[in-house]
Amino acid sequence: MAELQKDPITRSDFLGFGVMGAIVGAILTIPPVAFVLSPIIKTDVLGESDVGTGWVEVGPVSKVPAEEPTHFVVSFPIQQVYGTKAVENPNVQDPNEKFTLRNAIWLSWKAPIKEQGRQGSNGDIIGKPERPKILDQKSSGFTESERKEIMSKLNVLSNSCAHLGCPVRWNEEKQLYLCPCHGGLYDINGGWVGGPPPRGMYRYTDAEVREDGKLYVKHKFNIEPGLNKQHPYVV
Amino acid sequence: MIGRIRTQTSEASQFLVDWMEHRTGIVTMLEHFLYEPVPKRGAWLYTLGSAVLFTITLQFLTGILLLFYYVPTTDHAWNSVSYIMNDAYFGQLIRGIHYWSANFLMAFIGLHMGQVFFSGGYKAPRELNWVVGVILLLLVIGLAFTGYLLRWDQDGFWASVVGMKIGSYSPFVGGYVVHFLLGGDAVGPATLSRFFAIHVWLLPAAIAPLIGAHLYLLRRHGVFGSEFEYTDRLAKLHERQRMEEYARYETVEEDEGEPYVGRRDRADREGYEEE
Ligand code: HEM
Ligand code: FES
Repeated sequence: MAELQKDPITRSDFLGFGVMGAIVGAILTIPPVAFVLSPIIKTDVLGESDVGTGWVEVGPVSKVPAEEPTHFVVSFPIQQVYGTKAVENPNVQDPNEKFTLRNAIWLSWKAPIKEQGRQGSNGDIIGKPERPKILDQKSSGFTESERKEIMSKLNVLSNSCAHLGCPVRWNEEKQLYLCPCHGGLYDINGGWVGGPPPRGMYRYTDAEVREDGKLYVKHKFNIEPGLNKQHPYVV
Repeated sequence: MIGRIRTQTSEASQFLVDWMEHRTGIVTMLEHFLYEPVPKRGAWLYTLGSAVLFTITLQFLTGILLLFYYVPTTDHAWNSVSYIMNDAYFGQLIRGIHYWSANFLMAFIGLHMGQVFFSGGYKAPRELNWVVGVILLLLVIGLAFTGYLLRWDQDGFWASVVGMKIGSYSPFVGGYVVHFLLGGDAVGPATLSRFFAIHVWLLPAAIAPLIGAHLYLLRRHGVFGSEFEYTDRLAKLHERQRMEEYARYETVEEDEGEPYVGRRDRADREGYEEE
């Protein structure tokens, strides 16, 4: 300290050091920090997604039985590290090999809600699921209005639990969806029935039946917050 | 015969020890590091810190060994762990030690912190060692969290998903935390790569110097013995009292002596104020 005081730093020294320090500091820190944080920059700042935004085929809706849900596994293409286009295209060995994110989708027919439940205390009181009559006659080649009717009756649910994201499955004995991690329970419409989840199951918001009788979805969910007011995150 | 060999070896080893000591000072250093007086009562509790050190060392050693076969990619991670378990010699042992030692490590850290907390060992001048200890705890939790995903089986995978989603509920930065850990916005190859990088390089590299700092501070102040310092203090106090009593016999006439108790109280107080 004493040494320093003998040789006081002048204003221009100080500014010089400050400016040089800032420049050198930026050169040294920005690249590694941006390198490590690039996923945050891409997703949160630029709003990009690793998951493909296109339509993905799920399966024929006629396969969904009247009373029980059934699940389909869908593969969304993803672009991450060795799945990115730049890496994939130049070295195509197997053009069918795509890097994908496999998600399970639960499909069921909506059961009419007779009495609205209250999140956190009791679930909805529901009737029997209603399968559209048209499916008894044909399984493809639906008209515009038939497709509308099918979509209005179909539950398209993500299997990712609204609590902390474990995969839920249908429990035949209880006639409820049960989450293996902390025992979250949902009814056939995905509505909350019991356990820690702050809301019902996530629905796919972009889903459509096409003429071939198959369901197609995009990787998009309704993510309104539940009881805890936190913006949920579908993994 | 045996006797001669014994003296010769002991002379030779003595020579070696002296030679090393002369050039590096290593023997005094080791003595300094290895021998430490601890309070008699509850002495076993002071081994908890060493237990933590031992298990962390095991983690480093077995972790480095696992790296010889472990492959951190989504398509091969599980297979390579399976190879370690089924084909590599002693693979089950090495991986088992890494797994169980990680579990015991957490338990030992909890007990060690409890011992320090309840004996008041974090008080001046040892506050910084508590602070370093808490940072070490957080780093070890990070290691335990990131290590579990590396198995890439159902257990590790979903436990990590749940862990990341818990992180998503952190106020204000929730989304950033998840995207940082995921390496994007979906669980995929980037997720495994970052967990691997964090588990095997980032956190061990951060933890090692902090362990050094923790041990350095420990040796600087000595292990905190509440008993130890207390008996020391008591001994000093008694000594002072004795001196005072002698002085009293020499100067004060017997018949006008003050009540003894009062004097003792004062000495007590002075003793503490000096500390
Ligand atoms: C305090 C230190 C550490 C803790 C608490 C820790 C914890 C863990 C845990 C819980 C696992 C999962 C093990 C399993 O379930 O089978 C794991 C895996 C692994 N760890 Fe560590 N670890 C530590 C240090 C290290 C270090 C220093 C390295 C390497 C330099 C390392 C390399 C690995 C590897 C390669 C795996 C994957 C193999 C496997 O899953 O068995 N670890 N670690
Ligand atoms: S993750 Fe489903 S109940 Fe916790």
